[in-house]
Amino acid sequence: MNNIWIMTWYTLREAMARKVFISFLIISALVLIFMLVIFGSNTSIDIVAGMKNAKLNLPMEQIVSQLELLIISPLTGLCILLSIFASASFIPIMLEKGNIDILLSKPVSRDQLLLGKFFGGLLVVLLNIAFLVLGVWLIISIKFSFWNLSFLWTILLVTFTFAILYSLIVLISVITKGSTFGMMVAYLIYLILSPVLHLANNNIDMFTSSTVVKSVVKIFYYIIPQTSEVSGTITRNLALGNAVDSYQPIWISLIFLVLTMGIAISVFRKKDF
Amino acid sequence: MDFNAIETTGLAKTYTSSFGKKTVSALNNFTLQIPKGMIFGLLGPNGAGKTTLIKLLLGITFPTAGSAKILGEDISNFKVKSKIGYLPENHKYPAYLTGGQVLHFFGSLSGMTGDNLKTRIDELLKIVKLEEWKKTKVKNYSKGMMQRLGLAQAMLNDPELIFLDEPTDGVDPIGRKEIRDLLIDLKHQGKTIFLNSHILSEVELITDRVGILNKGKLLKEGNVKELTARKEEYKIRFESGNEYLLSPELMEKYSLAKTNDGYYSLKITNSNDLDKIVDELRAKGLTIRELVQQKDTLEDMFISLINEAEKENKQ
Repeated sequence: MNNIWIMTWYTLREAMARKVFISFLIISALVLIFMLVIFGSNTSIDIVAGMKNAKLNLPMEQIVSQLELLIISPLTGLCILLSIFASASFIPIMLEKGNIDILLSKPVSRDQLLLGKFFGGLLVVLLNIAFLVLGVWLIISIKFSFWNLSFLWTILLVTFTFAILYSLIVLISVITKGSTFGMMVAYLIYLILSPVLHLANNNIDMFTSSTVVKSVVKIFYYIIPQTSEVSGTITRNLALGNAVDSYQPIWISLIFLVLTMGIAISVFRKKDF
Repeated sequence: MDFNAIETTGLAKTYTSSFGKKTVSALNNFTLQIPKGMIFGLLGPNGAGKTTLIKLLLGITFPTAGSAKILGEDISNFKVKSKIGYLPENHKYPAYLTGGQVLHFFGSLSGMTGDNLKTRIDELLKIVKLEEWKKTKVKNYSKGMMQRLGLAQAMLNDPELIFLDEPTDGVDPIGRKEIRDLLIDLKHQGKTIFLNSHILSEVELITDRVGILNKGKLLKEGNVKELTARKEEYKIRFESGNEYLLSPELMEKYSLAKTNDGYYSLKITNSNDLDKIVDELRAKGLTIRELVQQKDTLEDMFISLINEAEKENKQ
């Protein structure tokens, strides 16, 4: 366990040495400063009043929760996109000749090395997201004296979404020793496959009557991790304190994550360097 | 318990290309025992399989056949690595860390903690003369400095067995001498050192035993003195002014020939004849001041051995 923590800690340090993660921290800090300026003035009351008028008699608590989500959603999306880009090279750098040789000459198991790198990547994203979400939550909660604790689910769900994609990056990196293909697949799933399959699965009858096509869509829908629903519908419902229709996307994605990491560890155990 | 530092039996490694069309035998039926407490040098041309052997022993790559033990433990047991140090060729360290932090990272992975680790880091940086560079990021280190940091890294956990792959690569002559002295010092502390090097003159200076590897096969293994000795060739120096006693018949009988350095070379067919020849020369009134066995340099021996192996391969 100690070795996993050492690898996790040094992966965090590696991430902090990269401009992408620092850039996101700076963007988050600027957003928070901007919010402090906006909500420090009377303008914010006007915004809420405007939203209240537009939504017609929505309770203040719901407007505040919606406002929190409105601010955080594009930023968490940006965080995931940047994190995929920045973390895709963690494993390939570790596997470089001259680097992996020294690591494997230490009394550390291969499983510990890989898990340490995986948790390190997650910790970076968790800290980045936590900084942003907690900042937004604190500013809005203090300003409107409404403490929507459900909003904090966002931290875990966005990190979980990244974990699913990162497990795939880890697997592909272990096989190819490169970062490009893993990064491309992660973007493909997050930006295209998962949203399209979600849409297609929900409205399949509108697109086709063929049972074969319907079956293919269903199969892909259950194979490909449902990041779109985890970071979208489920996060939104939990953050607003609403009931979640189905936790199935979380279970399917969790199974995908565990399987992908299991295969990655199994491949890494037998790999020659 | 008494066991060898390294013991391999029929160790082999064959690399197969991605589509399985081409196979390359990097190491073939490699059997070797290296006792504890010595400096062993593994020599061989590029691609001979030297680095593959180290990687197999350290579990960086896996054997296709055979078995190996390190310090009495099977190589599949990764915990034995707590007693091992390794300096790979072309090693890389995280560029964002300082020299001190690099050692802290690898020391932590070796199970070292707290003040014990900090003291050891300071001690090693002093030994490799990098104490003033402790807080400098390694991206600013020169090649020689990286090599010295690598040595410190390999010695961090006070290992019983140290693998060094081209340890003097990129190091200036003074630095090389310091590294040689350090390795001899480590040997006196009872450590076993396994050395891969292209610089044969250096290997000759410090190793107790050497192995010659070519195309994955161990061609020869033994004591440096034994391997470099020309068994049936000697050099004799007579008392000055004595040489006129050497008759042409005597010179012809023993194939004696004067060399540029004032010695006479002597070739015999059987080493048991040496006493007889000495007795006969002395009986003729010659006073022998020096009698030494002719030696090749390690480089001469290495090149002739590799050439012979290449000829055999062609046949």
